Amino acid sequence: MAAVCRGARGRLTVTRTAGEPAAAAPGAYELAEARGYGLTAGDLRRWEPFSAIQVHWARKHGLSADDARRWAREGVGVRDAVRAVRLGMAPEQVRPWAAAGLPPGDAVEAAEAGMTLAEATAWLRVGFILPDAALLVRDGWTLAEADAARYAGVDRYAAAGR
Amino acid sequence: MLSSQRNKLLCETGPGTPMGELLRRYWQPIAGVSEFDRLDTKPVRVMGEDLVLYRDREGSYGLVDRHCPHRRADMAYGFTEGRGLRCNYHGWLFDHSGACLHQPYEETRHPEGTFRDKVRIKAYPVTAKAGLLWAYLGPQPAPLIPDWDRYYSRGYKQIAISEIPCNWFQCQENSIDPVHFEWLHSNWSLVLRGADGPRAPAHTRLGFDEFDYGFVYRRVREDTTEDDELWRTGRVCLWPNCLYTGHFEWRVPVDDTTTLSVGWFIDELPGGAPFDQERIPCWQAPVRDEKTGRWIDTHVMNQDYIAWVGQGAIADRTLEHLGESDRGVIMLRKRMFEEMEAVAAGRDPLGTIRDPAVNERVHLPIVGGLNQPAAKDGPRPFVFLAGQPDEVRSELEQAWQQCAAAPAAG
Repeated sequence: MAAVCRGARGRLTVTRTAGEPAAAAPGAYELAEARGYGLTAGDLRRWEPFSAIQVHWARKHGLSADDARRWAREGVGVRDAVRAVRLGMAPEQVRPWAAAGLPPGDAVEAAEAGMTLAEATAWLRVGFILPDAALLVRDGWTLAEADAARYAGVDRYAAAGR
Repeated sequence: MLSSQRNKLLCETGPGTPMGELLRRYWQPIAGVSEFDRLDTKPVRVMGEDLVLYRDREGSYGLVDRHCPHRRADMAYGFTEGRGLRCNYHGWLFDHSGACLHQPYEETRHPEGTFRDKVRIKAYPVTAKAGLLWAYLGPQPAPLIPDWDRYYSRGYKQIAISEIPCNWFQCQENSIDPVHFEWLHSNWSLVLRGADGPRAPAHTRLGFDEFDYGFVYRRVREDTTEDDELWRTGRVCLWPNCLYTGHFEWRVPVDDTTTLSVGWFIDELPGGAPFDQERIPCWQAPVRDEKTGRWIDTHVMNQDYIAWVGQGAIADRTLEHLGESDRGVIMLRKRMFEEMEAVAAGRDPLGTIRDPAVNERVHLPIVGGLNQPAAKDGPRPFVFLAGQPDEVRSELEQAWQQCAAAPAAG
């Protein structure tokens, strides 16, 4: 799980998240980066601990700083949070995924493909990371078909070895 | 892993294919402006279309069908005039819009005839920007050519072009594959130098963000933290077919088994005096060692080329086994499928710019910022591609020395 704490520089930091950078004092370079997205130093402060590009993406898609932080606490980065909100998901919905040892952002990817946690876990057991599985599911593959196709070549060599 | 049908969707870029339709919504760099210091015409192949790029004597660029609509002669052997390109076979003249301006014998026999008004040659718009010639092969109205902020950084610029014998998409997948740096560039380079180690710091974490013009990939290695710019800023997989890390690497499909790698590079110069580069040199970078017949492996992009061509002329993605290091690659594929659908539905795809007010020095994330310090003791060796011509190296050296000696701007 993610946590909110004070970082080494005394700044608010969301730690142990899957998708967010830790905060450090914005220097001239960070401010220049922020200006590139039409953001000010004040914007960066209001949006700690997010980077300029994340603030830009969140604002563009109507995700508030508070909501972005709520998602970040669950281990979901801005990019995935934007997609999750679009799907009508709530931050706590990713907790079972984290509890199962999966990246919380994968819950969003799965929801887009209409996959449940149980299905995702089954795909993972045979070696498919969730985004790969989700693309295959969208393309109409069953787990059995994908499993057979994926290991067809490998099994042939393994059998020869045996 | 993908089905062979889905793989084809990603790889095929000919006219009428879904990916061809998507990529035709963007301006593509196809040559360097400075190539036309010595040329009038250049045959090019872009996304399976055989074309001729030319500059006429008024200085306008054109991109027309390789074959004359009269009797299919090769327009690459045509000759330029004040306006347009004339076929060397019977003298038909066409302008950059494809209009036929002159049919010498037809007009002699039928001075009032309208034959030439009925004949056109396929033509696409071409625009010069940042030392490159950009072609747009899609439907009108064309979007704007992105005006990236990096083009305006102070420094010596150069362009290098290579032709890579493989499909474009495996090249572009490399643009969002952080872990390959550790192995292909760091650890393999150690081996090539005959060293046993120490090996490069291992990647421990990857992250991805999205923005208006593509994706940013971020990384933490054993020797870095989340305070490092490689995590805080990351690098850009620039939509749809470019990598941006402070320099640009476009991967332009020549056809489905050949890719034009177009690199745009900048070397920061010392001092603060204005530096105005009149001409950006463009050179052809070799990919094969003529002595050994093997791919060149000494430079960063050459090493990438070896990985790409090693995947086959068109990578067979039905046989691959993706893992955690491939999350970016999967994200890229998914987005490509979505954007192909967007184009099929009549929408503008990701990253097209149509508002001139938006298209002013468009910001791209860059590690170290736009104004980076010059190397201290002279220009750095060119590490990206083998074969940099001596004249380019010495021009850069000269520019560096001049800037180092010039008084700073007041």
